[in-house]
Amino acid sequence: MAFASFATVVVLAVSVSGCANFANGETKLQAVKTVGIVSAVGDQMSFATAGLTGLNNSTQSFQIGSWGLDDLIVQQATTALNGRFQVQPVSYNRSAFAAIKDSPVAAVNLVRGDPFKKLVQTEVSPQGLDAYIVITKAKSNFGGGGRKVEGIGFITYGTLLSSHNQIHALYEIRVFDGKTFEVIEKRAAAPLENSGTMNLTGPSQLVDETFAPTIGDLSRNEKLHGAITDLIVHSLPSTLSDMHLADVR
Amino acid sequence: MNQAVQIGLRLSVCGGMRRKCLGPWLAALGAIGAASESASAQTAFTLPAPPFELPMVPSVSGNWTVMVGVGGEYKPNFEGASRSMFSPVPIFSIRRAGSAEQFRGPRDSASIALVDFGDLRAGPAGKFVSSRKANDYSELNGLGDVKTAFELGGFVEYYPVDWFRTRVEVREGVVGHHGTVADFSGDFIVPVIRWLTFSVGPRFTWESTQATSSYFGIDAMQAMASGLPVFNAKGGAHSYGAGAQVSYRINPQWEVHSYVEYERLLADAANSPLVTLRGSPNQTTVGVGASYSFDFRIR
Repeated sequence: MAFASFATVVVLAVSVSGCANFANGETKLQAVKTVGIVSAVGDQMSFATAGLTGLNNSTQSFQIGSWGLDDLIVQQATTALNGRFQVQPVSYNRSAFAAIKDSPVAAVNLVRGDPFKKLVQTEVSPQGLDAYIVITKAKSNFGGGGRKVEGIGFITYGTLLSSHNQIHALYEIRVFDGKTFEVIEKRAAAPLENSGTMNLTGPSQLVDETFAPTIGDLSRNEKLHGAITDLIVHSLPSTLSDMHLADVR
Repeated sequence: MNQAVQIGLRLSVCGGMRRKCLGPWLAALGAIGAASESASAQTAFTLPAPPFELPMVPSVSGNWTVMVGVGGEYKPNFEGASRSMFSPVPIFSIRRAGSAEQFRGPRDSASIALVDFGDLRAGPAGKFVSSRKANDYSELNGLGDVKTAFELGGFVEYYPVDWFRTRVEVREGVVGHHGTVADFSGDFIVPVIRWLTFSVGPRFTWESTQATSSYFGIDAMQAMASGLPVFNAKGGAHSYGAGAQVSYRINPQWEVHSYVEYERLLADAANSPLVTLRGSPNQTTVGVGASYSFDFRIR
């Protein structure tokens, strides 16, 4: 009986203190008026083969900066957020944000904290906005093996009897408090609802051979460019809505 | 970080030949999930956002996929037995929506990848080993019960290419026996078509004396009670064998799978009178199962 009473008190205390100190993102966002948007997703596109790959397990990457995907993301996000927030243009070191990688050791990520926190403090101007929305590449496992893919990419999955192609735009969004630079909210873009079982944690789509890039003229592959753009345009508003940043659903 | 959560929540439902599955409580969870009538490739239901979030703990918000199902295993009554029986096995897992279900072998223990390079993964692993009751099978009369055991340790797995996995598990008994067990396996993973995957590969197990003697040793008291000769089982190479499995995803919701694992006992495990006089060194497990997946969202 005494133990039960003690346990009840402890649970209540933890709940109350939890609510007081660790309010969820939606609550913290209520005070935010001005935001700046940073995007560092679309500088490179990866080409991976998975499944029955022979002995070739490599992934190649190519520059797609000329597609202007990051500008598109900032523009789309600005449109989605403008009703609720005052979006102000910011300048930032895009390559510094794109270069950040998670450690493969979970404990390291836990100890070092969010790797983008310092960049938001030092590489973004102007400072002083209520919040900064940072959109960067996300990573996902693919297939049953150990393959990981991230950001913008094209995968050819080979089986014994056939193969299929898939494009992906994997990204995650963080909202940093403009004063403390703590992460208020973080969310990776989810798979599109009509995509079926794609074995990726983010937006992706099956495509046919005609989308396959020919090395050398990638920047001129408008069909591929258009398909990637569609993935971003269709997934970004719903992701922002899931984060309580926009009311687009 | 999310990956760690996903793997952390993923539960093992299959066990080895002797080391049975932990599962009755999973069956209850499975039943809850199976009760969802609206399960489909779309989000089945949405839960409200948690009232607060803890620092350094990944948010649970987002889309999740729950898999529930049931299977059955036809396997030896106990390790070393010559007769087998069929028993049901519950299936339950939860992971981030859209995330690929990583390849799992039927013998894999429950594990969490705390180090994850993609092709190289490592972390803690644990296996529940159910008790062996002498009263359950006539071959065990007089040998006494072997208590439930729990083995804790670690695993390392490496994919030199997408279609080949090697895995090592080393576990120490922390409850029940206090021996050491090391499982080695290799699996060729062949996607036949997009949703049909076949895998096959070799197996090898090493056990210490403490792990072996609990199940295969016969002391003087047990010898008198059972009629078997005294046997001092020592550790070493425990078994070798091979396993194969096939899985077919019928649609985004339904998947069926089947597997067979053959194990040939070695050394003192094979030489124990329990095996030579009342059992068999050839151990075969056949399993089948079907699972249903549905998504839900936490705001």
